[in-house]
Amino acid sequence: MSQLILKVKAGRLKSLTENLTHYCAGCEHGTLTRLIASAMDDMGIRERTVMVDSVGCSVLAYNYISCDHVVAPHGRAPAVAAGLKRVRPDLMVFTVQGDGDAASIGLLELIYAAKRSTPITVFLVNNAIYGMTGGQMAPTSLQGQVTTTTPFGRDVALTGTEFDTSKLLAGIDGTAYVKRSSLVLTELSSPRGKVYTIKNILDAKKSVETAFQVQAMGGFAFVELLSTCSVNWKMPILEAKRYANEQMIKKYPLGLFKDTFGVEK
Amino acid sequence: MTVTQPRAFVKILEERCKACELCVVSCPSGNLKLSPKLNRSGFHPAEFNYKGAKGECTGCAICYWVCPDFAISEVLVKA
Amino acid sequence: MSRVYLKGNEALAYGALEAGLNAYFAYPITPSSEIPETLAKEFGNKKFPEYKFFLQAASELEAINMVLGASAGGARAMTATSSPGFSLKQEGLSYAATMELPFLVANISRAGPGLGNLGPEQSDYFQATKGGGHGDYRLIVLAPDSVQEMALFPRLGFDLAFKYRNPVLILGDAFTGQLKEDVEFPEVELAQYNVSSWATTGAKGREPHVLNSLELDYEKQYRHMAKIFEKYKQVEANEVRFEEYLTEDAEKVIVAFGIVARVAKGVVNRLRQKGIRVGLIRPITLWPFPKAVLSKLASEGKQFLVVELNTGQMYQDVKLAVGDKVAVGFLGKWGGIVPTEAEVEARLQRLEAVLA
Repeated sequence: MSQLILKVKAGRLKSLTENLTHYCAGCEHGTLTRLIASAMDDMGIRERTVMVDSVGCSVLAYNYISCDHVVAPHGRAPAVAAGLKRVRPDLMVFTVQGDGDAASIGLLELIYAAKRSTPITVFLVNNAIYGMTGGQMAPTSLQGQVTTTTPFGRDVALTGTEFDTSKLLAGIDGTAYVKRSSLVLTELSSPRGKVYTIKNILDAKKSVETAFQVQAMGGFAFVELLSTCSVNWKMPILEAKRYANEQMIKKYPLGLFKDTFGVEK
Repeated sequence: MTVTQPRAFVKILEERCKACELCVVSCPSGNLKLSPKLNRSGFHPAEFNYKGAKGECTGCAICYWVCPDFAISEVLVKA
Repeated sequence: MSRVYLKGNEALAYGALEAGLNAYFAYPITPSSEIPETLAKEFGNKKFPEYKFFLQAASELEAINMVLGASAGGARAMTATSSPGFSLKQEGLSYAATMELPFLVANISRAGPGLGNLGPEQSDYFQATKGGGHGDYRLIVLAPDSVQEMALFPRLGFDLAFKYRNPVLILGDAFTGQLKEDVEFPEVELAQYNVSSWATTGAKGREPHVLNSLELDYEKQYRHMAKIFEKYKQVEANEVRFEEYLTEDAEKVIVAFGIVARVAKGVVNRLRQKGIRVGLIRPITLWPFPKAVLSKLASEGKQFLVVELNTGQMYQDVKLAVGDKVAVGFLGKWGGIVPTEAEVEARLQRLEAVLA
């Protein structure tokens, strides 16, 4: 028998630690963590990257991504990232924030970092709920969505309509790259029955890489990534994927909202 | 009878798996399913079989990218 | 630098520049706005090659978080504000203290609470020394009484901040901020602070540095805070600063800080001329508080009068230091009003009648 020689198609990432992840089963935070670590490896930037962790399910990323970290107060990550980047412009500085962290308590810090064209990268994980704190309403929760603080369904007449962060940031002069991608596995019906595609994840992978490139080119890069929260949405994992792909997508269509440097041709 | 040599191999770190089954459903050739055994966290971890329900593993690495807990730690293909 | 005639706020700004300030994050608020205004004006002045970045933030909250980020990278960063803005910074200070980040904050305090007015008050003493933010932590607090001290304290502040990896607060007041006096900036060599063991400058050739306040393991959190409080014990042992004026043979001792100490000194001088033996203890570090000297003077049977611009805050620390040994009197003024020498003198004379 001749010996089988195998090579690695996809493997261990230097930018990923070996620590066990705390994410709920099926959570896209893990997916994003892998995409970021992969980009850091491919671009060779691990040793000059600093992550500013925010508050929410994203907070424990300092245990998973192997680089320097500063853990910011809730909502303040873009300001902390900006302060660091301004004194150390040679570093690659990025944040990962939830929809509450970025679009609620941290909206001022996010908008001003964007408005000033601060050369940082912001990743927004939008799962339409406050996950870490147990499932309260988020600015991005959908009309009628049941959460622990909207037990009868969100009423946008009182609480305001669904918050489109990508649209807001695209309208701000200082942003160089605004993209909404999705991390959600998509179901397709086919003659063979249910088939699942990771086209969203592969597109998100490119968005993540581009977002780092745009920072290297001196611009403010923002990527919103649709995700699920099966635990707090109280749905089985695949049903949660369907909710994101069929319901969330109506309010948060994917797309490239701004590309000042023309990086995505 | 000729024996086909495996062209690809998926390495799974069982203790990381939370049995979300995303890899199971997204594998195009059905090479992954939950194993009957339990890991330390009480989940049935995914296990890999080169000959899947719908075909042989091609090393597409879809499982690698979809796994949120990095239990699918490596996908190896024939050099 | 030769003698110049400056406002307290301006002297603070120049003091920071002379101390090698790298980055300043601003937000205007009366009576502290001359600090960012001076620093904005001096940006690009080749006389201060360390001064690399100035930005007016969108709020005091944004400013303190930018200071947090800059200091995480090892830079000498600073922000200044006044009382209402200082309230906004408490969150950032709580995080910074447990993350052990070194930087300077100045609070040119004014009458409060709420909007209050623009006059001097010392009612942020509790907020400054007991930790206005949540959790158990301390700020090293320096209280200048003159434009000269406003000029010197930034250098002292940065030295202490980087030595102990803790935020340092310069607690001025509307009076010392707006006062104009002669000031001299001493020629001092720029300090070099070694941040290589902790700063997030990119994990090249070393393990990653994680600056974090979250610790979900209760035992580890216990040990972390125990370590920080061991550090605070060092600060208390080594960094107490105060001015002692004519206390040796004094029968009564006034305890006052900041602008009030200037009034008190005038009273001491006048009464001494009349043969009345009065002295003054002026705490310069409000934390660590000069407990030992007060306790010693109390053991010698001296009586105390605490004079401050609030309803009785440092008074409590003096009482704690003195214990039951002697009576401690109190004269407070607030609302932006500073007591006159005559008022302090009158109160001193009534000191016998006051019980502890």
